[in-house]
Amino acid sequence: MGTGHWRTVLRGIGQLFITAGLVILLFVVYELWWTGFTTKRDQHRLLNTLHQQWAHGVTIEDPPLGSAIAILRIPRLGPKYLFAIVEGTSTADLIKGPGHYTGTAMPGQVGNFAVAGHRTTYEHPFYSINRLRPGDAIVLETRTRWFTYTVENIPGTSARYQEIVSPGDVSVVNPVPDQPNPGLAATQRVLTFTSCNPRYSASQRIVIHALLTGSMPKSAGVPQALHGYRIKET
Amino acid sequence: MYGWIWRKLPGGIPGKLLGCAVLLFATLVLLFLVVFPWAGPKLPFNHVTVDTTPTAHPTATSSPAVPD
Repeated sequence: MGTGHWRTVLRGIGQLFITAGLVILLFVVYELWWTGFTTKRDQHRLLNTLHQQWAHGVTIEDPPLGSAIAILRIPRLGPKYLFAIVEGTSTADLIKGPGHYTGTAMPGQVGNFAVAGHRTTYEHPFYSINRLRPGDAIVLETRTRWFTYTVENIPGTSARYQEIVSPGDVSVVNPVPDQPNPGLAATQRVLTFTSCNPRYSASQRIVIHALLTGSMPKSAGVPQALHGYRIKET
Repeated sequence: MYGWIWRKLPGGIPGKLLGCAVLLFATLVLLFLVVFPWAGPKLPFNHVTVDTTPTAHPTATSSPAVPD
């Protein structure tokens, strides 16, 4: 009951605060660094599975949530930039890699192939998508074909190649991008990326639009945009 | 708190050091494999989709990402 008792209590409180601070520091380490490791591990597994499916000639018509559907390469972001795009945009899907909005077009199809990806955590696949400029190539590899999309304003719509929108602006992933009516019939083959903006925040979304400009069978070689790349043979 | 743990650990100085290492390791495992993976997706900067979820409720991650 004397001053020794209070000293013990105060010391305990002080140690709790210091501990809380250390835990928060560790959490920052976890978010910015450790999540990259778990995503890298998931990506490795996804790519292996995908290459096995391709080798056995399997095309999954209705890919299960969280499974890989295509391989993404963006030359502007470097020759090592390669991610398996997974089906679905739930929390569980997106920690594995960039995720395809279910119900939107598949690669190469008429409509809007829309993909969300992390900006700062989970190996941050879309960390630098703000660097994409009109004319930049976004290349998708599927089992049998290469699809090359080119970053540009989408003709006949109000969709610009790069947009900063509010988190609730779902029209950017509509079949005709940036048209409020999701039932409007699409005529163009569009690709859309969404991620959070600015980095380390979520007050806005950054959106990239691109238009399909090339499609070729994999048997015919490698698309122009990837010349100079080392492509893993399957 | 830490003083109390140190006094409770058995085995003299070597045993106490070993006990500290085990406790520290167990705490890190619990944080990195259970607590942080649970807390991470609740943070706003992990929200990368456009959806109809009101932004005033950034913890609601289970809503569909695309409206029907």
